[in-house]
Amino acid sequence: MTAYLVTILILVCIAIILGLALNLQWGLCGMVNFGLAGFFALGAYSAAIVALSGAGTFAGIVAAAVIVAAACGLTALISLRLSDEYLAILTLGFGEVIRLVTLSETWLTGGSLGLPGIPRPFWGWVSEQNYEVLFLALLIGVVFVLFVVLEILIRSPFGRAVRAVREDDTVASTLGKNVTMLRVKAFAAGGAIIGIAGAFHAYYLTYIDPSQFSAIITAYAFMAVIAGGRGSNKGLLLGAATIMFLIEGSRFLKDVVGVLDATQLASIRLILIGLGLILFLIYRPQGFMPEYKLRVSSLIPKNPQSDSPRASELKKEAA
Amino acid sequence: MIAQVVLNGLITGMIIALPAVALTLIYGILKFPNFAIGAMLTVGAYLAFVGNSILKLPMYVSAVFAAAGLALVLVIVNRFVFQPLRDRAAVNLLVASMGVSFVLENIVRFIFGNSALSFDLPIVRAQQFLGLRINFEQIVTAATAISGMIAVYVILRHTPLGRAMRAVSDNPALAAVRGIDRNKIVRWMWVIAGVLTAMAGVLAGLDRAIDPLLGWNYVVTIFAAAILGGLGNPIGAVVGALTLGVVEETSTLVIPPNYRQVVSFCAIAILLLIRPQGLLGTSRVKK
Repeated sequence: MTAYLVTILILVCIAIILGLALNLQWGLCGMVNFGLAGFFALGAYSAAIVALSGAGTFAGIVAAAVIVAAACGLTALISLRLSDEYLAILTLGFGEVIRLVTLSETWLTGGSLGLPGIPRPFWGWVSEQNYEVLFLALLIGVVFVLFVVLEILIRSPFGRAVRAVREDDTVASTLGKNVTMLRVKAFAAGGAIIGIAGAFHAYYLTYIDPSQFSAIITAYAFMAVIAGGRGSNKGLLLGAATIMFLIEGSRFLKDVVGVLDATQLASIRLILIGLGLILFLIYRPQGFMPEYKLRVSSLIPKNPQSDSPRASELKKEAA
Repeated sequence: MIAQVVLNGLITGMIIALPAVALTLIYGILKFPNFAIGAMLTVGAYLAFVGNSILKLPMYVSAVFAAAGLALVLVIVNRFVFQPLRDRAAVNLLVASMGVSFVLENIVRFIFGNSALSFDLPIVRAQQFLGLRINFEQIVTAATAISGMIAVYVILRHTPLGRAMRAVSDNPALAAVRGIDRNKIVRWMWVIAGVLTAMAGVLAGLDRAIDPLLGWNYVVTIFAAAILGGLGNPIGAVVGALTLGVVEETSTLVIPPNYRQVVSFCAIAILLLIRPQGLLGTSRVKK
């Protein structure tokens, strides 16, 4: 049972990393990434190929982050002169290209048979039974670091500028922000995080093949971001954890509900994810947790005369 | 040899042209790229399969059944998904359309499973014509696609409904002032999109096996065709689809056939870099 719990928690952590990336790209910057599964695969394959070549697992993570960041940056760069819809279409196309390459270039990716025997970080430091716990601890550390870095990023001038671009890029550029560079940088940063998630996915499973990277991954990540609240990393932790627990927990349903086969259960899960996405968009677009906002009221020192006309006016504006 | 490849490419292009026109119509009126287009095509193919193999109807009756069925499905989806979201930013609609895509595709998977199906049809011998080999399916595809596109052209150009649709596409506020009922126009637009996409589903089902990912395999090419012609421009979408059909088919002479979608992807990437408004489109570049 403990082993099962550790496995679920590892999957939750990987889902959270992926969700944090999408939250940066879509939540914070409003840039839709429908090729998430493809970029995730790119990260996993990059890490696996580098690690299998003997360069070490750390080099694999770095390679995955750099390669996916470059791919994301390039995609954002191609669509920079166009409205957001084109980026969504390009990322979708890019994801398909990655899938076809992983299926076809057998010499590099093993084709549909995949890549077996991927080395794991810190393998041999502890006994084999305890390794998954170590791996989980490592992942929790990564999630923590990424979370803190992203929270700092959101509150930094860069984070504010990026959100300004999301809300109205014309106004942002009038204020002297370089909209193009902001978008490309933010999308590439999200890409680096996707690459890290992919690397850990490959290291955890030690075996990857193209069927692991279906559109389902994109669906889960979008659901996690929208349920948690676009732009809120705390909400994302909640959203991603809830969804992964529901998905993994519903595997037990197969034993309870005898009439449905595995394909049908999988399709029900995706129907529910799709419905959830739509219902959240219509009825609760802000998700469970609101986005961090710098409020004027928090800048005004609290004093007895805080009910001055100007202060209350400012508060009203802020609310 | 080359002529044969170009012919096959044109036929593939005609299958793509139908959903590409649907996509571009939806974009013109609702201003969002509908990522459910692939799943819609799949649903069309399965509806025809139900008509043909389960209800044992003749193929053309099954096609009509599929068209009517998909149109109905889309009107319902529009009522419960796209209409409540219509006044929000386009990004909401496009993420919602991805949600619709998951739902439609997996309802199909739930009912029919993952196995490949095919229509219950007799096999007809291919004809030789001026040294070209033409299948019966190819003749049917060409006839259906061409009449479908002529019908759309006539509706858009020469009927009050078409004028109203173009008006809403151009300037929704002005159209509303002139007394055009936007909801009615949007409903009719979904009916037309449903009929076109269901036709493509039937033709794609004649061409290859029917499985839940049937439509998904066309998605990149459909988007590429619509972008190539300039999103929102129906004639452009047809030209884009035929071009891509021929280019994809010709590319199989030099690169492996499973990279066909990559060719389409590269086509949009290059086009967006040098001519973002599409080959026939007007400027949609961000300021």
